[in-house]
Amino acid sequence: MLFVAAWSLATFGGYVSKTFLADPLTMLREGWDLLVKFGFLYDIGMTVWRVVGGFVLAAAIAVPLGLLMGAYKPIEAFLEPFVSFARYLPASAFIPLLILWAGIGELQKLLIIFIGSVFQIILMITVTVGNTRRDLVEAAYTLGASDRGIIGRVLLPSAAPDIAEILRLVLGWAWTYVIVAELIGSSSGIGHMITDSQALLNTGQIIFGIIVIGLIGLISDFLFKAFNAWLFPWKLA
Amino acid sequence: MTTLVIDQVTRTFPARQGHAPTRALEPVDLSIGNNDFVTILGPSGCGKSTLLRIVAGLDHPTSGKVLLDGHEVKGPGADRGMVFQSYTLFPWLTVRENIAFGLRERGVPEGKRNAVADRFIQQIGLKGFENHWPKQLSGGMQQRCAIARALANDPKILLLDEPFGALDNQTRVLMQEMLLGIWERDQKTVLFVTHDIEEAIFLGSRVLVMSARPGRIKADIKIDLPHPRSYKIKTSPEFVALKERLVEEIRAEALKVAAEA
Ligand SMILES: Nc1ncnc2c1ncn2[C@@H]1O[C@H](COP(=O)(O)OP(=O)(O)OP(=O)(O)O)[C@@H](O)[C@H]1O
Ligand SMILES: [Mg+2]
Repeated sequence: MLFVAAWSLATFGGYVSKTFLADPLTMLREGWDLLVKFGFLYDIGMTVWRVVGGFVLAAAIAVPLGLLMGAYKPIEAFLEPFVSFARYLPASAFIPLLILWAGIGELQKLLIIFIGSVFQIILMITVTVGNTRRDLVEAAYTLGASDRGIIGRVLLPSAAPDIAEILRLVLGWAWTYVIVAELIGSSSGIGHMITDSQALLNTGQIIFGIIVIGLIGLISDFLFKAFNAWLFPWKLA
Repeated sequence: MTTLVIDQVTRTFPARQGHAPTRALEPVDLSIGNNDFVTILGPSGCGKSTLLRIVAGLDHPTSGKVLLDGHEVKGPGADRGMVFQSYTLFPWLTVRENIAFGLRERGVPEGKRNAVADRFIQQIGLKGFENHWPKQLSGGMQQRCAIARALANDPKILLLDEPFGALDNQTRVLMQEMLLGIWERDQKTVLFVTHDIEEAIFLGSRVLVMSARPGRIKADIKIDLPHPRSYKIKTSPEFVALKERLVEEIRAEALKVAAEA
């Protein structure tokens, strides 16, 4: 609220030139135009699909791998150095390389999300699974559980709420990667729209784009939280 | 009938930097059978938990071996059920699912394992709580459930490591009666660690006293009190005499620990 007030004061009061910062009303009008005339909904759809696609791909590989690394020390010792190293590689730095390899198509966008997310998820899940209560594992062994039973029926369910939290967190980061990916070499998506608007000095559209990103992020976060609460009633009881 | 033989078992924990290795167990020799209810008494740190964990297969002897019906124990297994001092119910499973965990792990079909679980829920007086999460239970209820979980597997021997240690006195007494009731009915070989002398006599058909660290078995006392036992027995002359004798035994060991410190 305060933010909107300060923004209105700066723009309507004429303290800031319209070229650099559109006022809120212009922004809303521009936004409306974007939605009805320029097919911005399609851009939003493209961006959401890229985030979800790359993220699901990363999660599908990282969750089992993180689980195995957390469960078996030798696997962790073998893979951990590589994953730790890879984690520090900024996903955006891969963009030029990925454009060379995969062109500027959808594959490249998905890969950026994938690279940006997969190592983070692996490492965080490894730590979470490694911290599973030792006495629960031992109790399961004395009840006759096999190694597979331990993984599937102790380590996984015990870590599941934390895994869901990790995924929620990383999904938030994935949103920042996708926009960067779309700023460079893209013909659709919210990030692409923002670059286009920049060329036209249309700050109203840019701000509208940013707000849309924020809103979608907030909604997905909320959905994720509600889903987690529904999935893990034993945590809340 | 089950026989458990502990043959010259020792356990030494390797040295950590700046510390000498810890000798937790001196050679321990022991033979248990006859559906005995054996209670183990000993001062803190004498190696009671270590001995139990070795029988469970969760720890390994430095030398010697453990035989269950002639087979050497190499690791944990469903034939030795264990109840821990800490609360170890699986928080993501309901009471019924917790009790059925071992059965499910062995591939018993759902209908059958629920029937078994419900029978135990009845026995431990948790009817109406089948679908509760562990978080919603009191400590006493959780330990009852943990005992049922171990028993539902129908193990050859039940190992309990101070299962009532964290409970208040009233609850503790009720739990002792419940456990004794189950044992009197089902006849099972039980190894029960405690440092409560009354508990050891009340429950046990045999009380073992362990020495201060490094632990070894210092006394092996048969408890001939008749069954079924009720809490009233605790004031009988036989009970009091046993208690006096054990207090002396334990006191001597506790003094050794104190002198060392
Ligand atoms: N994993 C371990 N590593 C090193 N030392 C250990 C380990 N586990 C136990 N010990 C040591 O072995 C000795 C015996 O421990 P144990 O837990 O068996 O005692 P206890 O008789 O069960 O004591 P309490 O009554 O307090 O539970 C202690 O001195 C303890 O410090
Ligand atoms: Mg102990």
